[in-house]
Amino acid sequence: MAMSETIIVLATPNGRSGIGVVRLSGENSLRIVRNLVGDGSFDPKARNSTLRSILDPRSNESIDTALITYFKAPNSFTGEDVVELSCHGSPVLLRQVLDVCLSLGARMAEPGEFSLRAVANGRIDLAEAEAIRDLIDSQTTASARQAVRQMRGELSKRLQPLKDDLLNVIVVLESALEFVEDDLPEAQLDEVNAKLRDVAAEAKRLADTFCAGHLIREGIKVAIVGRPNVGKSSLFNYLLGHERAIVTDIAGTTRDQLNERLDIDGVPVSLIDTAGLREAEDLVESIGVERSKAAMADADVVIVLLDASVQTSDDDRQILQDASEMNFLVALNKIDKVPSTDVDHMIAAKDSHFAPIRNRLVPISAKTGEGIDELKRRLIDPTAADQILSSGLLITDARHHDLLIRTCAEIESSIEGISAGISEEIVLVGLHNALKFLGEITGETTTEDMLTRVFSTFCIGK
Amino acid sequence: MDERFDVIVIGAGHAGCEAASAAARLGAETALVTLNLDLIGQMSCNPAVGGIAKGHVVREIDALGGIMGRVIDRTGIQFRLLNRSRGPAVRSPRAQADRALYRTEMRRVLEATPNLHLRQGVVVDLIVENNRVVGVELQDSRRFAAKSVVIATGTFLNGVIHTGDKTFSAGRAGEPASIELAESLRRHGFPVGRLKTGTPPRLDGRTIDWDAFTPQDEDTEAVPFSFATEKLGRDKIKCYIGYTTQEVHDAIRGNLHRSPLYSGKIQGVGPRYCPSIEDKVVKFGEKNRHQLFLEPEGTSTNEVYLNGFSTSLPSDLQQELLNLIEGFHDVKIIRPGYAIEYDFVDPRELSPTMATTRMSGLYFAGQINGTTGYEEAACQGFLAGVNAAFSVQGRESFLLGRGEAYIGVLADDLIRHGVDEPYRLFTSRAESRLTLRHDNADERLMEKGREIGLIGDLDWERFSTKRDRIAQLRNALDNTRLKRSSPEYAAVSGLLGTDLGDSITLANLSVRSGVSQEMIAKLLPTELQTDLIASELESAMADSLYSGYVAKQNAANERVNKHDSLKVPSTYRFSNISGLSNEMIERLERARPQTFGQVRTISGLTPAAIATVLVHLTAESAHAN
Repeated sequence: MAMSETIIVLATPNGRSGIGVVRLSGENSLRIVRNLVGDGSFDPKARNSTLRSILDPRSNESIDTALITYFKAPNSFTGEDVVELSCHGSPVLLRQVLDVCLSLGARMAEPGEFSLRAVANGRIDLAEAEAIRDLIDSQTTASARQAVRQMRGELSKRLQPLKDDLLNVIVVLESALEFVEDDLPEAQLDEVNAKLRDVAAEAKRLADTFCAGHLIREGIKVAIVGRPNVGKSSLFNYLLGHERAIVTDIAGTTRDQLNERLDIDGVPVSLIDTAGLREAEDLVESIGVERSKAAMADADVVIVLLDASVQTSDDDRQILQDASEMNFLVALNKIDKVPSTDVDHMIAAKDSHFAPIRNRLVPISAKTGEGIDELKRRLIDPTAADQILSSGLLITDARHHDLLIRTCAEIESSIEGISAGISEEIVLVGLHNALKFLGEITGETTTEDMLTRVFSTFCIGK
Repeated sequence: MDERFDVIVIGAGHAGCEAASAAARLGAETALVTLNLDLIGQMSCNPAVGGIAKGHVVREIDALGGIMGRVIDRTGIQFRLLNRSRGPAVRSPRAQADRALYRTEMRRVLEATPNLHLRQGVVVDLIVENNRVVGVELQDSRRFAAKSVVIATGTFLNGVIHTGDKTFSAGRAGEPASIELAESLRRHGFPVGRLKTGTPPRLDGRTIDWDAFTPQDEDTEAVPFSFATEKLGRDKIKCYIGYTTQEVHDAIRGNLHRSPLYSGKIQGVGPRYCPSIEDKVVKFGEKNRHQLFLEPEGTSTNEVYLNGFSTSLPSDLQQELLNLIEGFHDVKIIRPGYAIEYDFVDPRELSPTMATTRMSGLYFAGQINGTTGYEEAACQGFLAGVNAAFSVQGRESFLLGRGEAYIGVLADDLIRHGVDEPYRLFTSRAESRLTLRHDNADERLMEKGREIGLIGDLDWERFSTKRDRIAQLRNALDNTRLKRSSPEYAAVSGLLGTDLGDSITLANLSVRSGVSQEMIAKLLPTELQTDLIASELESAMADSLYSGYVAKQNAANERVNKHDSLKVPSTYRFSNISGLSNEMIERLERARPQTFGQVRTISGLTPAAIATVLVHLTAESAHAN
């Protein structure tokens, strides 16, 4: 994996699409492209796009017409010469373009190798690289925006004051035990603890955005559950906008789970249609029911689908009971068949059990589409939590989340230790650990950095 | 050649004395060459040994078979254990020395050492053959042959003293600098830099109004430095604490142009943790007073060392400034304070044995390597002396790791990072602070000392007994349970104001807040209580206290250090990494790291540079596989 090799990657998702982008990075990028366009003097202007037809130099056959964009080193994402070829989106054609480039000396990039080169060439720091990975992985616009924000180093920027405050506390405690003969101001432990609480709270606040951040990046897993024939597959199809599930009038038609991804206001949603949840009547179906329960446990949001046109059954109540421990919505389907679509009327007509969960009820019709927009809005609600608005920064990387949680835990146990009067050298184990964890995101603080701050803070020395 | 030796040690300060003693006792015919035999073991600065981290080092030197601990135990006139209110890992012994007694005792010890030959003279050059040092040449044209040479010349190499606008060549006040030897090192291509240090005025104790100052007594239970010392027996003195005033600060500010530090005459970098009084006043202008320690220099002298008032201001001004202070209105300075600049050699050229990599057979120890402090010097002298003798005898090098001893931390820091200012040890420099305790230095290192050959049978036997007893205590702490049914349970539980469950081990009980060592002692099995030694129980309890935290610390270190073992190929050129600035490349090339772990701790590398190197090394190793 020598850095000098020119690497190539298909930058757009594999599959049929309008445009497929092939990206080259490395010192031979331009040479390869010159071969590809059959013009040894081809000299594209940096950051400009040129339309050229590309051919296989082995056979001189034309492959496609492509828009060629050249990013000259070091002013490219990787810091190397980068060329992007926007071709037509046919998988066969793109495969051909890749093959030709490989024959001209490029090599397929390892996963993340573009980012790696960007880090290696000092174009971005590690946190940014991870954000870019998110950007590349991100399937929808909202997570792309979030990834871009992290890429600008916002996470590092946000963590810097935390690290600073933490280091200041460490400096006070280290000095207290290291320079015991010096005339240092007595360490004010309540002040130290107050400062630590602030740091832990801010780390926690950032960590908490992971839930929303995670939802944006990984998408929300939505399971639709309900007894047979309440219209689960119809809803599934309506949400997706095309026929995917087999819809019949025979209860229990859907034996397997179906998974589809859709995009609601920029939030990726992974939709799980489930086999009807009821006491299984045959073996194949009973496997489906088990899976449904598993899907329910795995989902971020469960939609309990009920038939508004009939009385609630014991099965319905059992399903509601099962769902009550999760984040769930109740969709009252088939409102096209009931006299009143007013929620309160329906509650009154159906079952007194619904009163306490009134705010979770959404009347819909999977047939006419009535109420579906409201259901969608309610589904992505968790991603619009207050914390996102206030912090403006979401933790989307599980590793960052883990490190922030560990940071909090270390600081909190240190606060306890300080309150219990435990000696500084022990308290400092936790605080140094916390600093290391933050450092894993933003870069390490060395002993020398710490000592420098000690000597600039306190007048040390006999 | 006039005389032939196995090992020659140049300089008889704290590094030189340890080096010569260790080499001679290991059987090497050793010459200790010094400018003045009457100043062997001279304390150039404050008359004290030890302190946080430094005291740890003295204990480590002692455990390995060095001499500093024994000498200070015999000549100390006030002993304290610092940080007594804190945990055992950061407690450390410190002692005021009788400066003159320390010198004479050190000389006596050296003179009583077989194979050790004292020689007075000025070394002016190294005799070098085929890039190997084979001897030294003296000013009086004597030539001594040697297989190994240790240079431990302190501040003498090109030493220049500053007081006010007066500047003169000197190694210490009243002693000549070593100029020819310094030139010789430069000639042989050693990368030389300049450092600076300072010392405060010494006062006539008869002219001090002692009542104006606060006395500071020694500890009631003084802890000796040497594991061999059973009892400290000398006459004791008091130190006194006082403060400077705003009036003094104003006078200093008004006269800064007379300080060579601020007039730009001093180029060398001084230690940040030992600033001169002018530095304190300028850099911490908001402080309205600075602490002063009045440290008597001995029991048979009136001379008083004014710790905290290090200065290079002109002598007359020093006198005027002091007279402004309550209690010093009539004080007379015996010896004025001064600043001294001297040559040091970039220690990144050293190997962990203290051998130079540029010339075989040559070792450096102490301030020549950019360190400061008697203890830091002594432990380097010890390493250099042992390895100089070992190399003559064909024995394998003696090394200490960062996890084994503060000495290992110091050696590794020097070699890996070099110095930007005089290097001093701090406990925070050690990753394993909780395990590198002063009380367990013998448990950590005496076996090594025995293997080296510097621990005698008597000390070894005593240590073995002690080790067994502590092991027994540890075992008892882990396995003795205080049960609800036992008669003491209610009392202990009542005292702590908490239920302790049906039973609790003494180890677990001992880490609870409010539990004293005395309480644990009373709960031990009776056979252990009878001849219990408090310090042994303290050691055993310290292990229980820290065990959980040590595990936590190690876990976090391992997490962060997961790439540390990544190898840097020996032929690796950092200059080939295009994303690195020249400064970063230079730091990397100079440090010659062998693993990513070493890269990570090179001082002055930016996080981005470290990340860049990591990515390249990862790529490199993936490529290699």
